[in-house]
Order: sequence, then structure tokens, then C-alpha cells
Amino acid sequence: MSLLDIRSLERSEIETYIREAIKYRNACTSGEPVPQVSGTVCLLFFEASTRTRASFESAARKLGLSGSFVAPATSSIQKGESILDTVVTLDYAGVDCLVIRHPSPGAPHKAAEVFDGGVVNAGDGCHEHPTQALADLLTIISRKGTVAGLTVAIVGDIVHSRVARSNAWCLTKMGAKVRFVGPLTLLPKDCSLLPVEPCDNLAAGLSDADVVMALRLQRERMNGYDLGSLAEYTQHFQINRESLKLAKDDVLVMHPGPINRGVELDDFAADSTFSAIHNQVENGIYVRMAVLANEFDKLRGDA
Amino acid sequence: MKTLLKGGRVLDPSQNLDVIGDLLIENDQIVEMNGQEKLEPGDTIIDCTGLWVCPGLIDLHVHLREPGFEYKETISTGTQAAAAGGFTTICCMPNTDPPLDKRAIIEYVVTRAASSESGGIFVAPIGAVARGMGSDHLAEIASMKEAGIVAVSDDAFPIQDAEMMHQAMQYCKMLDLPIATHCEDLSLTRGGAMNEGAMSAVLGLKGMPRTAEDIQVARNCVLSISTGCRLHVCHVSTWGAVETIRKAKSLGAPVTAEVTPHHLILTDNATDGFDTNCKMNPPLRTQKDVDALREALADGTIDCIATDHAPHSLHEKQLPFSEAPFGIVGLESAVGLILTHLTHTGVLSPLQTIRAMSTAPAEAFALGGGTLIPGELPAAQITVIDPDLEWTFDVRKTFSKSRNSPFHGWQLRGKAVMTIWGDEVYRDGVMDARVSTQ
Repeated sequence: MSLLDIRSLERSEIETYIREAIKYRNACTSGEPVPQVSGTVCLLFFEASTRTRASFESAARKLGLSGSFVAPATSSIQKGESILDTVVTLDYAGVDCLVIRHPSPGAPHKAAEVFDGGVVNAGDGCHEHPTQALADLLTIISRKGTVAGLTVAIVGDIVHSRVARSNAWCLTKMGAKVRFVGPLTLLPKDCSLLPVEPCDNLAAGLSDADVVMALRLQRERMNGYDLGSLAEYTQHFQINRESLKLAKDDVLVMHPGPINRGVELDDFAADSTFSAIHNQVENGIYVRMAVLANEFDKLRGDA
Repeated sequence: MKTLLKGGRVLDPSQNLDVIGDLLIENDQIVEMNGQEKLEPGDTIIDCTGLWVCPGLIDLHVHLREPGFEYKETISTGTQAAAAGGFTTICCMPNTDPPLDKRAIIEYVVTRAASSESGGIFVAPIGAVARGMGSDHLAEIASMKEAGIVAVSDDAFPIQDAEMMHQAMQYCKMLDLPIATHCEDLSLTRGGAMNEGAMSAVLGLKGMPRTAEDIQVARNCVLSISTGCRLHVCHVSTWGAVETIRKAKSLGAPVTAEVTPHHLILTDNATDGFDTNCKMNPPLRTQKDVDALREALADGTIDCIATDHAPHSLHEKQLPFSEAPFGIVGLESAVGLILTHLTHTGVLSPLQTIRAMSTAPAEAFALGGGTLIPGELPAAQITVIDPDLEWTFDVRKTFSKSRNSPFHGWQLRGKAVMTIWGDEVYRDGVMDARVSTQ
């Protein structure tokens, strides 16, 4: 009933989301009427967010859903209510679908245990960000034609990245090879249960890469021991004109945002024709339309 | 009035005894083995055929939550859970509110325990090492000893300052009290929710590296050797800690150690799915650690099995994983889990099992139990176990106030069916002093 993570999805389910997202993209860009969905969705965001929130709101609006946004600063969470009590309350209030962002890994999974409708994980701590991974997959397929057989280097602050984990599962289920690249202090200590090849050397990590996905340094989750300095990180791990020469000539540069321009990426990497960053944002809306529509289809018993 | 436990398998590690026999209790005391000829009309005979008759089980590591957190557990519900689990003695940890750091609080616990519904179950308080727990001043340990503590512990607030631990050990050496340590270097585990490893990498949860435990076990063993203070290492969870304890013992250090049933049975793979009932501290580790713990228990490197019974309310455990409190209840599942997964599988012999759950804990804290030798104890402390009873652990039907267990619904083989203290007999946790003649 819910989209909580990519890890538990079958390849066929991922393909369905992508197929539906392409259908919505075609409708939106051609001016055709977008198939409408009736129901209510609530965006329950316990963490600050600009792009994911805007993307879900845009997706809900395009589908004709009525919705609301709840942030902890303006909710009963401030009064000491637990997330589960909040979720149960929203259930009784007639909300059909919850989109949850939370700083704790697994929080949407807990919510799904008590919520009768659909729950969509919009990012749970350092665990997963499934709709971002689907958006990234759609972007790669749109630009490269396929993802099977590609080598994708995900570079940067991996250990704190929900995007990295969701992409690792998503891309490998679709036939890609994924490398996690970054300083050893920002890589998970043990990657043996993840479908990735860890690498603490940028040159080796970018070698023959078809796609390079840079990640933001999540300094709010870091302590003073993770890096020598931002300048040192930039010198050794920045994706830029020089380091991209190590990848394939037709490399695709991605970044889930927000970008620390001049740190993870230089202007060339962010803005050249290699960059797919704006495509990621746009595709995020279509993917989220597909995900929300799927939740309502399931609620109606159509899926 | 006499009671005869007839025809059971008598397992007493203190005498290295494993025989089929009878045990006669008179005036609260075990008076002799095989004394059937001394029975008179009106005395009680309990048929123990097919059952184990053992020294009363002892749990060195229990959280009773009273005073301060009675919504999780009270001394009364905790002792009822102990009786139901086969424990005649439990040692309660000091992290209550207020903490057990003064003579008056110790006296309160002792009094409340004696007047609880399972007053026959002996509650031995453990005092805090530091005043207020977590401060940098020693508590009034000598006064607390006079009031009845059997050890001191920094459980939940591991002492980080080596000088303070050194002084605490010197003080405890003077008082001949063991110091029980939760070994964790907090600078390595800050914000951690589970074992640092492959599964934490998948779940995106902040990990707690095994080195955090290894470092403090090593430090505390060194200080134990240096001071001569008895050190009891609580809930060992890593293979590295096992190796250090083994080495320390080989050097003659006065070190004992305990391990929990959950660390002997589960790995961090159980946290997959974010079940907060699998969140404990130290966290569930890996199969390599589980194997090392089992081997260490079998060869005596680890002396005791303790439950670290840690009740938490449902609303606390329903929080997201990283926000939920650490700990699970354990008193009523321990015997079934250990027999099913260690004894019946051949990791431990029946005698080793009872040694780890009774005789060794008694020795570690000098509690005076753990034996069936006639006349040795002022009151009989006996647990009767049906080793082959097949049952399903249903945490909703336990005596504990809390329900936080990852073992709910597990099929188990082996259960404590009777707990005896003097003339008080508990069957399935309910006191039944008047035993019917059979």
C-alpha cells in the first residue's frame, strides 16, 4: 500500500513507476489533460525542505488532489504529541495519503503500521529517499536511453545520504553498477550488504563512469572529525572540469540538490551540457505524480 | 512441615552434582538429599519426575524502575516477573529517579521488595558509583553497603574519566564490593542507535562501533588488575571484549562477566525493519560476536547469564528507532530461550546452564545462593524447570508491566515451572505456599 523504500521493491514495480511517470510527463508537456485523482493528501514534514516539498505539492496539484502541509513548528508535535498519534489523528481526519519526511530512519515505516491509507517516504534521515531515486532513474533513462550496463559513481557524503542508498538499490535493480566514492570518513563503515563498490579515491571512482552523481556535504549531520577542511575536500573530491576527464566522454552529471556550488561541483560540472540537474528536478514532479496516483489507485483497489 | 521434591534431576554446580534424587525441605531449609523416609502424614510431596531441580536462579542485572518510573515496572511487578521466570534472587540497577545512590533509597527498595507480592524473591540492590549517577563525585558507597547493596554500578552512565574509575575501584576494593560496569566509550557512540556495521549502513542508522565497548573493557580490566578490585563486566557483546576478558583472567585479574540471552541469540540483522524491540545497549552485534560469546560462556570466560531486564512502555517503544529507548524485558523468557537455543543445541550442558544462571552469579556478587548443599543457606532457594515443556512466549501474558520483547511469539522448549524460597512456592509466578499432597 505504501512506498517506504526502494530496497523492498521489485524491478517490475520500479518499471511501473517509470512508465507511469513518462505518461504523466507526456501529458503535462503536450498540453493534454492530465488524468485527475480525487482524494486528500497531507505532506507531513518534520524536517526543512524546499525542493521535495515543492515537488510533491506541484505533483498533487497537477493530479487535482486536495492537500495540506503540516510542519512540526505549526503542529501538535510542538505540544508533545508523538508522530504516531499525529498520524492516527490524520487518519481519522479523513486523509487518504501521507507524504512523510522525518529525520529518523524508519519513521515512515512506523507510520505505515498505524495509518490505513498510503504512506510515501519523502526522506527518512540517512535511510532512503525513494522518490528522488525514481526521479534520478527517469533522468538517466531519458538522457542515456537505458540504465542497464552503465557505471554510476555517487560521490561525496555517502554516509549521511538517503539519496545514495535509494539510488544504489534502484540503479542496481535496473542493471547498473554503482560505486560509492568519497573520503573514508564519509563512507559507510561496512558496505557488504549494499549493492555497491566503495571507493575512497576519486580518480578510481570516476574511471569510465557513465554517470557521476555528486552529493551535498551534509554539514548539519557531520562533526568536526569528518574532513580536514572544505577546501581540502574540494581539492580531492570535487566534480569539475578536470576530474570529469576521468569519466567517459559523454558522462552525465547529476546532483539531487541543494548544491553547494564550488564545493561538490564547479560551475562547469553544474551548468554544462553534461549536467542533468534541472532534468532531475522536473522529472521529480512526474515521478511523484506517478507515486501519488499509484497510492490512490491502490486505495481504490485498482492496482 | 516438610516438603519433598521427589524424583527430579538434581543439578547443583556448586557440588558438581547431576543425579536423579529427592530433596527434602524442612523449616524453610534444605535438610538433606533423599530423605523420603523422614516424611510424616501431612507433609508435602512434589513429583519432579522429568524435571530439573536446581539452585534458585539469580539475575545480576535487572531494572525494576521504582522509584521514578513506575509506569514501566514496579518492584512488585518486577519480582512477580522474576518468580515467573524462575529467579529467586534479582539484583536491581541504580538508574531510577531518584537514583539508588544513598542509604535511604536503598532502604526504601529493600523495604518495598520485602512487602511486594513476591516478597519471597530476594531483591539485592546495586548502588550507584557516582552521586546522582553521571556526576563526577563518588556516591556514599560505604553507607549503602550497610543498607544492603551487593555491588555498585555505573550502568547507563558509564564512567568516562579513568581517574574517577580508578578511585572508585580503590574505594570498592576497600569495601570488598564488586563494581559492575557497562563498558562504552561514549565519544564513539554519540547518537548511535544500533551496531555499526553492514546493517546500520543499509538502514541509515547511526552506528555504535564495537570498539567503544572493547576500549572500556580493556581499560577497566587494567584498572582491576592495578587496584585488585573485583570487576564485573556487564552484558558483554563483542568478540574483542571476550578476548580481553580472557586475557585479563589469565593474568589473574579478579574479573567476572555476564552475557544476555538476546546477545547470545540475535544479531543486528534483527533490526532490519526498524523493530524498536531490537534496540538495546549494547546493541545486537554480528554472528562472529554471537559465536564468540557462546564459546566464551561454554569455556567459562564469561561466567554468568543475566537478562538486563529493561522494561519500557509501549508509547516509548513506538517512537522512531533512533528516538526509542534502549532495552527489552527478559525475566520471563530467559530460561526458555537459553534452554532452546544453547542447552538443547549442545552449546551448554545442563550443569553449565545452571552454573551460569545461578552458582556463578551468586559467587560474583557473594550473594550466598547458587547451591543445594543442605544447611548451607538460611532458606531454601530452588528453581524447578521442565526442560522439555514446549510453549510459546506471549509477552502480553507476562507479569512485567512492559511488553518490549523481540521474542514475542517464539516457540520455546523448556520453562521454569516452580520457584521456591523457604516455604514460599511460586507456580508460574503465582504464590502457592500450601502445596497439595500428591
